[in-house]
Amino acid sequence: MLDVGRHPNIELMAYSQVERVEGQSGDFSVTVRRKARYVEEDKCTGCGACAEKCPTKVSDTFNEGLGTRRAIYSYFAQGIPSTHTIDPEYCRQLNGKKCGVCKKTCQADAINFDQEDRVVELQVGAIIAATGYEVFDPSCIPEYQYKEIANVVTAVEFERLLSASGPTGGHLDRPADLAIEAEIEALEKKAQKSQRVLDKFEKKYGEASPKFYEKYQKDEFEDDEDLKKWADKYDAHMGIAGPLDSLKKKAEGFGVAKRLAFIQCVGSRDFRFYPFCSSYCCMHSIKEAIIAQEHESETTSTIFGMDIRAVGKGFEEYKIRGGNQSGITYVRGRVAEITQGPDDNPVVWYEDTCQRRVRNQEFDMVILATACAPSNGIKELAQVLGIEINEFGFLKTDPSQPLDTTRAGIFTCGCAYGPMDIPESIVQASGAAARAAQILSDFQMRKAS
Amino acid sequence: MNKDILVIGGGIAGIQSSLDLAEMGYKVYMVERLPSIGGKMAQLDKTFPTNDCAI
Repeated sequence: MLDVGRHPNIELMAYSQVERVEGQSGDFSVTVRRKARYVEEDKCTGCGACAEKCPTKVSDTFNEGLGTRRAIYSYFAQGIPSTHTIDPEYCRQLNGKKCGVCKKTCQADAINFDQEDRVVELQVGAIIAATGYEVFDPSCIPEYQYKEIANVVTAVEFERLLSASGPTGGHLDRPADLAIEAEIEALEKKAQKSQRVLDKFEKKYGEASPKFYEKYQKDEFEDDEDLKKWADKYDAHMGIAGPLDSLKKKAEGFGVAKRLAFIQCVGSRDFRFYPFCSSYCCMHSIKEAIIAQEHESETTSTIFGMDIRAVGKGFEEYKIRGGNQSGITYVRGRVAEITQGPDDNPVVWYEDTCQRRVRNQEFDMVILATACAPSNGIKELAQVLGIEINEFGFLKTDPSQPLDTTRAGIFTCGCAYGPMDIPESIVQASGAAARAAQILSDFQMRKAS
Repeated sequence: MNKDILVIGGGIAGIQSSLDLAEMGYKVYMVERLPSIGGKMAQLDKTFPTNDCAI
């Protein structure tokens, strides 16, 4: 990433979109819209002082909504370019409210609320479409109850929980527990505020609130507006303290997730959604189970799948190592349903095809190995580029020239082509680069057939 | 004939293509939809089968 940012031959246009492509192989003219960041790219040093002071909290998409960021943000800590961006949907100033805290904080004077989109014209000889993929949203599978049961997460969400730079600093805290902890924090703030009001009354009348309330209940006071206010406030305070205590008691039992279930082929190899195999999920689940066990040695994982497709260099050995050394059990069977068990524990109902039995098992957390779906904007981009997509929504290619799209001079690689893992993406990327260089060189090569 | 190249997407595939072409001496324009490049790989903690860091 860093090399791209500082390579003299690469001009990086992040936060931009291709709007129009005209011409032909060797001579395309391209229109690119560079969206307004409301931060001057040449002035911003990426120090992050603005994001510390920004008052608006927004769900963090990089962390899959498991944490929060501010309305002015860098997409992630090591992001290239490190230029911050203002989210126009949430920024108070851009929505007509009074704010501008970031502008006052910025020492580089980089904030510019009047910045507008810029449209740039480029002349290029070849185009490589490496637009990637989208993680399949499993909320349309009712039996897995994703979003209904908090401790059922997607593989990418789990990845963020495992990451040292993620929302939990690499601790496997369960989303349901995190939600309760957030609720405790909010209630504590509220309780502190009402305690301050009670303190004022106690000082004024020289009596502790519980004692006063007891007397007030016995009608020992005459009608007095101020005393009624005190009693109401005490009432409200007790209304917060009760639930707060019970939540705190519940939170005492919280620990990290140690019994994990991985469910394979969620959305892929499923005729309701995508019939194809997403290729990397088996290995991805094994990797996550191994890393989780490295974090906490008592962790055990069960991977439920129709079969484990460990196709690749060193993959089969990795799978066996996971089973022997990292507490992974492989169960051949498809999961029929996930239900809510006690203590927010999901219960997995599955068919054990080896034993010919329907069984259920309780886990701390369930991880869904979600399908590799075509990227959201791929249809629009294909239209702009004048290329075709295949029946599933990936870019259409010919088996004899797998990196060429249906328009000469436009190539593809990575998951825009179809589901594949990182090493394969890198191989294809180098291949697509070679194809692009080839048509721009003076030598014409024979088409393979 | 124009010798410059446009790469759409700043994930691992786009990054590798751009670096290869830039090293060959071609001028590359990389367009990314999001504020930073890195794509899905940047969200990963480790990669298989070597458990290397993703970033």
